[in-house]
Amino acid sequence: MTWTCEQTEARLSDYLDGLLDGAEWSAFNQHVNTCAVCTPLVSSVAHTLGGLYALEQVDPPPQLETRILLATVGVARSKFDFSAWLRSFLSPRFVYATVSVAATMALLLTATGFNWRKPKLADLAPATVYRRADSTIHVTYARSVKFVSDLRVVYEIQSRMNEGDQNPAMREETIPQSSPKKNPGQTDNTNPSAPKQQNRATDVSKRLEVLACEFPIWSGSLVDRREQ
Amino acid sequence: MEQDAQLVQQCLQGDGSAWEELVRRHTRRIFNICYRFTGNRTEAEDLTQDVFLRVYRTLGSYRSAHGGFATWMTSVTRNLLIDHYRRTKRDRVTDSLDDAMPVVETKESVARRPDEQALLGELSGQVQSALTRLSPELREAVILRDLQQLEYVEIQRVLEVPEGTVKSRINRGRIELARILQQMGVRPA
Repeated sequence: MTWTCEQTEARLSDYLDGLLDGAEWSAFNQHVNTCAVCTPLVSSVAHTLGGLYALEQVDPPPQLETRILLATVGVARSKFDFSAWLRSFLSPRFVYATVSVAATMALLLTATGFNWRKPKLADLAPATVYRRADSTIHVTYARSVKFVSDLRVVYEIQSRMNEGDQNPAMREETIPQSSPKKNPGQTDNTNPSAPKQQNRATDVSKRLEVLACEFPIWSGSLVDRREQ
Repeated sequence: MEQDAQLVQQCLQGDGSAWEELVRRHTRRIFNICYRFTGNRTEAEDLTQDVFLRVYRTLGSYRSAHGGFATWMTSVTRNLLIDHYRRTKRDRVTDSLDDAMPVVETKESVARRPDEQALLGELSGQVQSALTRLSPELREAVILRDLQQLEYVEIQRVLEVPEGTVKSRINRGRIELARILQQMGVRPA
């Protein structure tokens, strides 16, 4: 069977759709393989067909169905789409907001002393929450004060201040002429019989002297003023 | 198909939910035919709405013995598209290969690499652009056969022309489309 260029063009779709019988298919191929005109034609149409098949369905806008229903029956009586409603909860924005709220609630409840192992409804009563929050705040404050006091820096400062109290070069009048008589319960050199106000004044004076030792330039005036 | 015929019967008996179901089942397909024919989303939306309006008004004339509801609806769509083509023919600027700026389509989320998606989107836009340059009779034949995957018999019913004419139009449409793409410098892989 001989095949012409006109026949090739006319039966091209049949060839591409696989509708040629065996003899036609052989003759078609034989002609196309030897014809310089038909070879690029068949190739380009085959590729075009591939491009058409690659075209995907385009999504219509979501409101189109509603528009059609409004234009036809007048009312969009769309059914409640439960699966679509559930899918809406999987949006990243909703998930992020939910997790944030849950984390905040968990933190607040934990801060108020809520027992997660044995949760009770009574634990959520406002009075209970307030009482626990108050207690937690005080305990936290006390712990933080203790933590600060235990810090090495703070300890060092306190030690140096105490050393200043005991440094003979700082205060000549504090050099004991003889071993002072200490009474049980007395931990400093103050006179327990003196008024409390006087003890405090003495204590402040000691502190100022230690500071004067540390910062002799500007604190000297303070000491002088104190002595006056 | 039988389900469509049943839904049509329910519609004719006044069941609104049956019409709603028909709209839900066919909107996407009709929209795609309109979009591939016009190459314009807004026009495709308006035409899809017009198709459903006409179908709703002439639902009583549908006879299941003459073919499936989808084929009948495609026939209504085709008639409206041809009307639209004739109506807007004067307004359309003469086709020129130079002014074609293929539109990158937004498609369903398919698991592809971004570069592949971009290439495919560009190619789709070019093929769509070439498609709108075909004469309407070749364009509708190619759309129904190669995009809607209709059988020759169904296309014959939709276009109301003999099977030989259908085959000839499809064949000429494909060859013409390949030539247009070649002139545009596109070679679909």
